[in-house]
Amino acid sequence: MKFDKIDKTLIASVALHVLVIGWGLATISSRALEVMPQDSVAVDVISPDQLAKVMAGMKTGKKDNPKPLAEKVAEAKPPAEDTVGKIDDKKAPVITETAPQEQPKPVEKPVEKKPEPPKPVVEKPKEEPKPPEPKQVEKKPEPKVDPIAEALKKEEKKPPPKPTPVATTPPPQAPKKTERVFDQSKIAALIDKRDPSRQSITGETLNSNAALGLAKGSSTANIATWGAMFKSQVDRCWKKPYGGVEAQMAEAEFSISLKRDGTLEATPVTVGRPSNPFQRVYQESGLRAIIDCQPYKLPPQFFDEWKSFNPFFTEKSL
Amino acid sequence: MKSPIPMTYENEFSNGLIRPTRRQFIAGAGAAGLMLGGARTALGQARVTITGGDVAPMQIAIPNFVAGTASDNEVGVGVAQVITNNLKRSGLFAPIDPGAFIDKVTNIDAPPNFQNWKTVSAQALVTGRVTRQPDGRLKAEFRLWDVATGQQLTGQQYFTSPEYWRRIAHIISDQIYERLTGEKGYFDSRVVFVDETGAKERRVKRLALMDQDGANVRYLTRGADLVLTPRFSPSTQEITYMEFGQGDPRVYLFNIETGQREIVGNFPGMSFSPRFSPDGQRVIMSLQQGGNSNLFVMDLRSKSTTRLTDTPAIDTSPSYAPDGARICFESDRGGKPQIYTMAASGGPAQRISFGDGSYSTPVWSPRGDYIAFTKQGGGQFSIGIMKPDGSGERLLTSGYHNEGPTFAPNGRVIMFFRDPGGSGGPSLYSVDVSGRNELKVPTPGFASDPAWSPLLS
Repeated sequence: MKFDKIDKTLIASVALHVLVIGWGLATISSRALEVMPQDSVAVDVISPDQLAKVMAGMKTGKKDNPKPLAEKVAEAKPPAEDTVGKIDDKKAPVITETAPQEQPKPVEKPVEKKPEPPKPVVEKPKEEPKPPEPKQVEKKPEPKVDPIAEALKKEEKKPPPKPTPVATTPPPQAPKKTERVFDQSKIAALIDKRDPSRQSITGETLNSNAALGLAKGSSTANIATWGAMFKSQVDRCWKKPYGGVEAQMAEAEFSISLKRDGTLEATPVTVGRPSNPFQRVYQESGLRAIIDCQPYKLPPQFFDEWKSFNPFFTEKSL
Repeated sequence: MKSPIPMTYENEFSNGLIRPTRRQFIAGAGAAGLMLGGARTALGQARVTITGGDVAPMQIAIPNFVAGTASDNEVGVGVAQVITNNLKRSGLFAPIDPGAFIDKVTNIDAPPNFQNWKTVSAQALVTGRVTRQPDGRLKAEFRLWDVATGQQLTGQQYFTSPEYWRRIAHIISDQIYERLTGEKGYFDSRVVFVDETGAKERRVKRLALMDQDGANVRYLTRGADLVLTPRFSPSTQEITYMEFGQGDPRVYLFNIETGQREIVGNFPGMSFSPRFSPDGQRVIMSLQQGGNSNLFVMDLRSKSTTRLTDTPAIDTSPSYAPDGARICFESDRGGKPQIYTMAASGGPAQRISFGDGSYSTPVWSPRGDYIAFTKQGGGQFSIGIMKPDGSGERLLTSGYHNEGPTFAPNGRVIMFFRDPGGSGGPSLYSVDVSGRNELKVPTPGFASDPAWSPLLS
């Protein structure tokens, strides 16, 4: 039959293909790529709407919080207008044990007084001490002679110990204190000549809310802020019991109400009934943590939100 | 101990004090929860999820028990000390040094001043009283308080004869442990072990019994013959062990209450590594047959013996699962000694240990969740645990010669013996199944082959 004829070559061809491709698949594709487990980073996912609520602020918004910002209790003082860049020159000058060296002068002065550049410089040192060496040195910056060539000449003349002006200048000033004393404690004074640029705003009562007007009333989206603060605070007091297999399933929920100062209004109420002895112990550990950790420091502007909420302790990985 | 201690206990405290009963409390909480639940939907009450926290030993204050009469003072101090020691050794509690206490408990019927206990950072407080009764018995009462909430967590009273005050302390320790961890305790239990004395070449090995904390050591044999592998019955006050008498080593049964001793079965050749079934009615063991050994189980009442394995290999160290349905054992049928499990009635066996090295002395946890073993490899002997299907293998301690694990009655702690080699001798150690809290167990001399009893009460 026709079929048979075709079959032989077709079968041979198919078999060969299968063999080759199969061999290729088996040998080339070895083990699956191993992906190293990476440290996970906890991320709270909030919707754009929630983010908008968190970020929103309206100048025309209702003044929910009419009190001005106050970070310290003291006599009210308006915030300084120009808090940056104010330098107090009247501060006592910093005194170090180091005598000013000659070296900088030749450099600075030529810059300031360009018209008659070198003369004063040359004269000054002349008047003070009159050793032969300085002269030659001071001549150096004065004319428009190539300083390098000068220096080279000088070096030829001079003995090796005096290669630069720095080395040459000290001797004239030897009568003064030339010893350089390094005093660590004066470093700060050297650097800090500026008034602190950030000052606490004072008021009669504390109010850490900078905004006078709030966005649009209370929004639960702010749980991202104070919820995390509550969590981190209660976490420190939470000593949970060691449990075996049961521990992985443990969870406990409470309903709590807080006062404005962050203390508990009443004993937390457990939500739900523990299903086994370990659950009960777990629940008690959470209750203990909530009670032990008060008062809680939570943002006062969100008091309406955190005055009553449900902490939920869990071992189940979310 | 001669007989079960006459003892009664009543949970009478819970109604006596200001606290509502648990049931009432929960009902109230439920009602409040309903109300709040309604409010929450209206206000959109937030839920803050808290994960993390530390697994840390719980700070607990255990002041001396108040003495009902002046003569009870010593017992009151002793009970508090035994409880403190038990809880501390468990690794799950951190008893607070009594020197730091700023309050003194004088009347246990009034609620303590919790603020004073909060100041010394106690999370739980145990108050108690021991009183000698007119009939000569000792009454011991205790209350366990949660310092944060000011609630009484539990309270009991016991009557017993005065010489058993230590046991009362163990029982109270178990109550506290169970209430605060959610798991059964293990303090009211004993350990049988092989006490070793004398020079290394002429070691005298005696069977000894002690409380789990090392107190009340009692010797059960005189040491004329070598004894090995004692095992407690899970349900009776009996021990089975192997002794080299005249001729072949034999498996014996020993009643620690009556002191009676008998040979288990009359087999040709050596019988060894015995262990009780969970109901205490049968003993499973190895019988030597030529160069091999096989597993047999004997019914202690009818003395009928059943063969469980028939292989040209060494099958030994059998141990029952707590439900009695399966056994684990050690066998070298695959070349090296490995752990196998099979149905308690025999049949095909599954190998469960697949790590490097060889595995021996498997023992099934009373909780059923783990099998502990000795693992030898790389020049080290390790004590480890694995799940009964062989997964989750974890080594708890490693070093030169660790051997012979045995579980505490609650399956949370493993005791084993360690021989450092050299001129010294072996000692007993305990370790948590998590691998933490390794502790030496006090014994009068060298000690090996520990076996933990079930809870006595």
